[in-house]
Amino acid sequence: MTASAVCPTASARMRVLLGILIMSLPSVAAASDRRTFQETIAGSTVSFELVQLPEGKLVTPPDPSDPPDPVDAAREHPIGPIWMSATEVTWDAYDLFVFGLDQKSAIFSKDDPEALSRPTKPYISADRGFGHAGYPAISVSHRGAEAFCEWLSEKTGHTYRLPTAAEWEYACRAGSNGSWSCGDDEDGLDEIAWYKKNSKRKTHAVGSKQPNAFGLYDMHGNAAEWADGPNGEKSLHGGSYRDPPSDLRCVEKQLDSPALNAGDPQIPKSIWWLVDGPHIGFRVVCEQIPESERSTTEQPPSHKDP
Amino acid sequence: MQDKTRRSTSTALSRRGFLKGSAATLFVPIVAGKLSAQPRADDPDVLKVGLVGCGGRGTGAAAQALSAENGTVVLTAVGDAFEKQTEHCLQNLAKHLGEPGAGRIQVDPEHRFFGFDAFQKVIDSGVDVVLLATPPYFRPEHLKAAVAAGKHVFCEKPVAVDAPGARSVLEAVEVARAKKLSLVSGFCWRYNVRHRAFYSRVLGGALGKIRAVYSTYNTGPLRTVERQPQWSEMEFQLRNWQHMDWLSGDHITEQAIHSLDKQAWVMGDVPPLRATAVGGRQARFGEGTGNIFDHFGVTFDYADGVRAFHMCRQIANCTNDNNDWIYGEKGNGTVLGWSNVHEITGENAWEYEGEGNDMYQQEHDELFASIRSGRPRNDGRFMTTSTMLAIMARMAAYTGQTISWEQALDSTERLGPKSLEWGPVELAPVPIPGQKEFL
Repeated sequence: MTASAVCPTASARMRVLLGILIMSLPSVAAASDRRTFQETIAGSTVSFELVQLPEGKLVTPPDPSDPPDPVDAAREHPIGPIWMSATEVTWDAYDLFVFGLDQKSAIFSKDDPEALSRPTKPYISADRGFGHAGYPAISVSHRGAEAFCEWLSEKTGHTYRLPTAAEWEYACRAGSNGSWSCGDDEDGLDEIAWYKKNSKRKTHAVGSKQPNAFGLYDMHGNAAEWADGPNGEKSLHGGSYRDPPSDLRCVEKQLDSPALNAGDPQIPKSIWWLVDGPHIGFRVVCEQIPESERSTTEQPPSHKDP
Repeated sequence: MQDKTRRSTSTALSRRGFLKGSAATLFVPIVAGKLSAQPRADDPDVLKVGLVGCGGRGTGAAAQALSAENGTVVLTAVGDAFEKQTEHCLQNLAKHLGEPGAGRIQVDPEHRFFGFDAFQKVIDSGVDVVLLATPPYFRPEHLKAAVAAGKHVFCEKPVAVDAPGARSVLEAVEVARAKKLSLVSGFCWRYNVRHRAFYSRVLGGALGKIRAVYSTYNTGPLRTVERQPQWSEMEFQLRNWQHMDWLSGDHITEQAIHSLDKQAWVMGDVPPLRATAVGGRQARFGEGTGNIFDHFGVTFDYADGVRAFHMCRQIANCTNDNNDWIYGEKGNGTVLGWSNVHEITGENAWEYEGEGNDMYQQEHDELFASIRSGRPRNDGRFMTTSTMLAIMARMAAYTGQTISWEQALDSTERLGPKSLEWGPVELAPVPIPGQKEFL
């Protein structure tokens, strides 16, 4: 059993991945006691699943082609037992935030537009016609993703934020030491990812491919996802529906750039929406769900496609 | 100003022409050394720009103009209906350009104009180039004044909201041509390298004879601004200009026109014979949403039985798309507007794989290059044809009548108030097809 094995299907694949997981992580939750939490956004019918990542560390394999990284020389990132949304944030949730369907929230001021922490209406149709309910929120800037986390924290009383780049990669690998969570054979991607080969040039409903060993969906492909790197670096991870397998690798990242909004004809350009980011979305992490609110569930990841 | 431009043509201009060549990047450091100092507006090599219309798009256009050359374009005058807007514009522009670009903003307080006659003051302030970026209602008058004064022009889309306006623009276009002035249009897709590659193939016969074109511009609604007690009705309507028929020409003229411009591009900018259209106002609520429709569906009949179909919508929570489909005898062409897909299927299958460009910057790069080279670019005809396609479709939808190209072009209907004053403005009722008269 090696990381380069072709990703087989269903339970056979789970065993392969868990094998790698146990070998590479000091303390790991087995699938049988995976902790999940259903977060509901107050005042709405929208909810989403959080998965607790098993505590461990990400050891970044040295890449001979990379220049030495003085800031991050240790290449060891301990990852706490944080919670991560099982899917990319969907329009169902993001719309609540954008369109202010929660007017009671105190962090927004109608009197002072400068103080608004809520996106303006997008110049373009942000969903690009790819699909809306159940589809990942896209065209979202890093600021938009951050502001959503602030809003969500306010709404739920739990502390939400974007994942760090290390957390994101750790979650993406879910124990795999290969290029992708399915190992090193790109043929395995078709089962777990929407990417250039199978996406028909659009995003798809979240959770409609197989999850990884941590129970996380669409870490590879669909929408590229925002994370916070070292030194305030804003990075996109996992590749997207429009990328080839190499851009979907766990280690791949793309940095934030003005090019992502070159198509906005206005100045000031929107800080919320990326005209050239049809492929850009995000998922959230939550630092802590109090024990009193939790229920540990036995819930092996399941295929969500109806 | 003419003298100065000619002088520039013979001195700096050969340099610019040189730099625009294939070896440009090799020589940039040498020139950058010369230009690193703050450009002076009285330097004969410097082109002075005046901005008319200080909203987000105008500010964007100014930024692109100031970035078009390596420090030899400066902004010396701005004008807007609202004084505050000129300040916001300059602040946002400085912030956007950063150092040293902000040094190219050389607008002293005496050259910040506001009010309905601000455009004339900008034009008369000694600038070489005028950027026209107000709501489209004003464009015909502004363009006429700019070319009358011998200014090169960047002219945002659309260029008019009614046929009298479009006819005035056509005259101004010919004045510009006669005076060898450059006139670049804000129909930005014409300056997009992906689109150029695609449409040049289509026009080159990759699809064989074109049978039909279908385009969509289905989006959500645009922002509205709440009425403030101190505002006159005129100010309220201007603040919500996109939703007022007379200021924007309706959303088919103001937004969806990009699709019609691409339709015109495919058809070689030859106008259609006639248009039949439906449209209505189903889901616009609140007074800021004015009197415009929120959806249109149009069929354009071209010669030889070729048809073009267009659909546009501004309604929330609906399926959005902005795509162009071209059907030819040898294959089909597809442009997926929001995901940068440009593809031809059939006999001459092809897909654009290269890099994109900043089309807004490209507009200004080519405008200034054409001024410098003394080979004026004039986008006037196609920009007027494309604008008239939208006006014609709107006329057909509003009246419920099939409208010929000649009828549309000869229409005498003028939108908007008789005079521009800060007071009450009567807004036309939402038109009812079958009842609204064609004028």
